[in-house]
Amino acid sequence: MTRMFKPLRSAGGDGSAAPLLVLADEELMQLVYRGNAAAFEVIYDRHSSAAFSLACRMCGQRSLAEDIVQEAFLSLWRSGARYDRNRGSVRTWTLGIVHNRTIDALRRRSTREAVQLADEGLAERVPAKERTELEFARRDETREIRDALGQLPAEQSRVIELAYFGGLTHGEIASMLETPLGTIKGRMRLGLGKMRAALGDALEVAP
Amino acid sequence: MSADERHERFAEDVAAYVLGALGEDEHDTFVAHLSSCAVCRDEVAALQRVASALPSAVPQLASPPELKRRVMDTVRVEAGLREPRVAASARSQSGGSRWSRGEGARVGRRAPGSRRGALGALAGLAAIAIAIAIAVAGSDGGSSSRVIQAQVTVPHATVAVKLSGGHAELDVAGMPQSPRDHVYEVWIKRSGDAQPTDALFTVSAAGRATVGVPGSISGVKQIMVTAEPRGGSVVPTSKPVIVASL
Repeated sequence: MTRMFKPLRSAGGDGSAAPLLVLADEELMQLVYRGNAAAFEVIYDRHSSAAFSLACRMCGQRSLAEDIVQEAFLSLWRSGARYDRNRGSVRTWTLGIVHNRTIDALRRRSTREAVQLADEGLAERVPAKERTELEFARRDETREIRDALGQLPAEQSRVIELAYFGGLTHGEIASMLETPLGTIKGRMRLGLGKMRAALGDALEVAP
Repeated sequence: MSADERHERFAEDVAAYVLGALGEDEHDTFVAHLSSCAVCRDEVAALQRVASALPSAVPQLASPPELKRRVMDTVRVEAGLREPRVAASARSQSGGSRWSRGEGARVGRRAPGSRRGALGALAGLAAIAIAIAIAVAGSDGGSSSRVIQAQVTVPHATVAVKLSGGHAELDVAGMPQSPRDHVYEVWIKRSGDAQPTDALFTVSAAGRATVGVPGSISGVKQIMVTAEPRGGSVVPTSKPVIVASL
């Protein structure tokens, strides 16, 4: 997607978020690095729902998900200089922080509790009334990713879900499913490989 | 072991790596291998794009407005800290009272009277005297590392002060959110008046926070926390809600 942006120096100088809304995330991050709270707020508004959704999906607790997202975004605010646009989008970077922090939180729990949560698969744990369609622009992408995941053989999608959303290691998954570790590794690799082929150009390419 | 053999050993872990499914030791070993294996790096790059797309498969929820308020309160406070704070000379305008509500000492924008209700709710709570129980954690069993339980005026809240290497860290649990447009500020007291630090914080939804006390605690007799207007104050404008005697 190609967007036209105003010159960086024209945005945010008065602390208003309005001119910032037209800037790309990567340009906003330059302002965040300089301590511009208004630029950070735009980043927050663009990605906090995705971050909260991911954390909720992974940990199954709103309060814990809120804590994780709060810590993740404050980390982003304080370490904006570490963002490297050559390694992916701000969204990917942000969601990666949330993913890693949620895994840490899950692994601090008892193994039993983590397995119970992970074993629920992709069941939605959040009341339907709280769903939102704030991210209209991402609906097609969401549908494609879900389709690609849903078209995998069940044993492949399951190990991917348990690993990515459940925060389990491949060893824990092997024990849980009473399946050899090598088989689990193979299912992960085959599953991701098929999704890669199915999604093709829909996948984000690092600039 | 040849490079090909090493690659074969690690190639099957690429998917687990991008999914975050390697154990800690396995992860470190795999990362070390990546530095010397271009084939695995390429495979990681390809599959990482798939893994990075997985969050899009999750039902999308709206992040809570209260969460944004907490995050942005902290961000605005920290952004403000990059600007010069009120000059130290302002302290002399406060009348010298340790816990003065003097307007001249305040960095915030609201009049003191407008926040008395919220602060009063905190200050009015009966002080809960918690014994200063000390857990010795240092390997030498001596004074290099210890934990002090602070006095907290809020029922059910606890604050452990970890002292290590001449520095202190507050581990806060069960604290209420700071009053609207306020943050918690950490103070240190050696002799004389309490001195402000740059440690301003809010607590999570669960009432938790971990706060490092800036600088050395050499000679510090007390560490205190008060609720202050955004941006902090140079003299306390409310009674302390947390007091740790070192």
